[in-house]
Amino acid sequence: MVWQYSEKTKQLFMAAVHGEPGTHLGEIEDPDGLGEHGSIACGDAMRFTFRVERHPTDPTRDVITDVRYLTFGCTSAIAASEALCSLIEGRRLTPIEALKITNGDIVAFLGGLPEQKIHCSVMGAEALESAVFNWAQRRGVDLKSLGIDVHADEQSEGRIVCKCFSLSEPYLKRKIQELNLRTIPEITNAVKAGGACMSCHHVPGGLQDLLDEVWGEDKNSLRVLPAAASMSPAAPSARAEQPGLSPYQFSKKVEKAIDEYVRPMLTRDGGDLEIVDIKDHLVYCRLQGACTGCAGAGQTLKMMVEKTLKEMIDERVRVIAV
Amino acid sequence: MRIVYADNNATTRVAPEVFEAMIPYFTDEYFNPSSMYEPARRTADAVADARKTVARSLGAADPKEILFTSCATESNNAAIFGATRANPNRRHVITTAVEHPAVLGVCKDLERGGWEVTFLPVDGQGNLDVGGFVRALRPDTLLVTIMHANNETGVIFPVEELARIAKETDPAIVFHTDATQTVGKLPIDLGRAFRHVDLLSFSGHKLHAPKGIGALYVRRGTPWRPLLIGGHQEEGRRAGTENVAYIVALAEAVELAAAHRDEDEARIAGLRDRLEATLERQVPCVQVNGKGAPRLANTLNLSCHYVEGEGMLYQLSAEGICASSGSACTSGSLEPSHVLLALQVPFTAVHGSIRFSLSRYNTDDDVDRILEVFPRIVANLRKLSPYWDNKTNAPRPGADRLLTESRADALKAR
Repeated sequence: MVWQYSEKTKQLFMAAVHGEPGTHLGEIEDPDGLGEHGSIACGDAMRFTFRVERHPTDPTRDVITDVRYLTFGCTSAIAASEALCSLIEGRRLTPIEALKITNGDIVAFLGGLPEQKIHCSVMGAEALESAVFNWAQRRGVDLKSLGIDVHADEQSEGRIVCKCFSLSEPYLKRKIQELNLRTIPEITNAVKAGGACMSCHHVPGGLQDLLDEVWGEDKNSLRVLPAAASMSPAAPSARAEQPGLSPYQFSKKVEKAIDEYVRPMLTRDGGDLEIVDIKDHLVYCRLQGACTGCAGAGQTLKMMVEKTLKEMIDERVRVIAV
Repeated sequence: MRIVYADNNATTRVAPEVFEAMIPYFTDEYFNPSSMYEPARRTADAVADARKTVARSLGAADPKEILFTSCATESNNAAIFGATRANPNRRHVITTAVEHPAVLGVCKDLERGGWEVTFLPVDGQGNLDVGGFVRALRPDTLLVTIMHANNETGVIFPVEELARIAKETDPAIVFHTDATQTVGKLPIDLGRAFRHVDLLSFSGHKLHAPKGIGALYVRRGTPWRPLLIGGHQEEGRRAGTENVAYIVALAEAVELAAAHRDEDEARIAGLRDRLEATLERQVPCVQVNGKGAPRLANTLNLSCHYVEGEGMLYQLSAEGICASSGSACTSGSLEPSHVLLALQVPFTAVHGSIRFSLSRYNTDDDVDRILEVFPRIVANLRKLSPYWDNKTNAPRPGADRLLTESRADALKAR
């Protein structure tokens, strides 16, 4: 699939990797706000830091003067990180004003993103939000009293819906509303939920149920049922058993015969033999040690072991070299 | 800008000799090989000769055992569905977790239809556990389908051995191998070492024939039913007017590969080994996936810890270098490569994989160019990475634990 990125996205990415002037690579030491989102296991992660010019009396009037990011991720994740910084820089926004920047603003700044890359812009918005919450904590600003939903603990306390990306029910419901997500593919594109093993799509309490709960059963969400459950697999036919010997007794006898008669002959030459499996009268063996390098090993094993076992246990025994 | 093409496991350049051989069948020799008039005999003969050439190069006993198809995906579908349809009483299939989607997808479809499928795991180097294979064999096993070499890592499976074990266990088990990455690269003799293999698929475009032609070997006497029906072509086992020009191309490519194989392999191995050793030396924190296993000489699958593959590919592309990656961002889903997950590549590296695959048309200059560009590209991305410490040029202390949620455990648990 050829890259379908906008010129702006490509240009920001290349500028960032080459560390051109005006880019925002890095991390502010001892920052006023620090936010992280994503994880290396998920395939993208971002650390966002900012510095403010502190207001002498009213922390809510702090203004952001410097922004930096470090991002692990694809071309568009890095471009989205640059876009976020550009949207904040030079505008003397207070952190609370910065919160108004949405992933939609990042997409617009980039001149659009491919659908399946929307989550890169969401990551930027999430990292910003968590950095602002971090600033509020450091500066003793009570965001709740200012009417800002801090949705604390929703990740740690909610039921996990998407296990692959570890996303909780309250978080997903909020994102479905905030980002106006109407279908499962839209959810996946925006926040990745349901994008790996896909088992959370249609299970009870899964993504479709969350969509129904948020938007009501019949609103734009087509319910696609997974294919009918598979038929019950045919039962394997019962194995033919040794007359008079259970499979367990048979394998014990094989082991005993090998221990007593075969192994001593092999160890004399610095080799050994491992029983890999026994099925009916088939005995699967592997030569070890000095024997493995010997050209005639396979033949030796088969002839000698098979002859011994046939004599000791059952005429039908066959040895298969592994 | 000069293009360095290092993605030959995806597709290859058409050899000039092959292109040359095709041309008459686009111009004067356009006749349908099934027609009765004299000129059609020439196209029919061309197809017959091509069949003999391909059969001979694979050590097949009879040219009729070679069916021409449109691609390896068709061959794989035909092999697996054909074997299952001919053996309705058995319901168990064995394959591996690292097959190409053209086999994996078909096996998953069988599962939905009520068959039981065992997906054999591989170890950290990509090796199959032969003991595990043995233990998976059952009285109702109808088909084993295991690839000859993996397209992502180049790891080679001992299919000769596995096929022998399957047949010694139960001659009624049908053994299929997807040899798309190995025909033309490794010696395959269906009359000797591979005599226990019943079905073998491959395509032309991995060995310098064009896209749009493949073949399926069906050993005489194998219980198997055709997938495409409705015509007498290929003895009624693959209906559809023969794609004469491409069939001729495939035969030419197979012959060319056989003639140059030893020489090509030694030279390509030299290029790959130099690329691999130098990158391992010059780029910190890399691992070669499948390094401890027997591997195709042309393939290098490298994981760079703490960087993401798509950003590497994009920069390589900007420098004119064509390669591929198993990162989630290039897969079309949000899941990184199923092959690297099966190898349990650590989650710090599974998104940072890059595959260089060479062919007889690659040169020392190509390797030099990759060596000139690649270390810089990785360094560029690491400068941006929250997991990398630029002062020490090493991962930040504890980077493998930073910013990791339960996704890491989820990946590990798979």
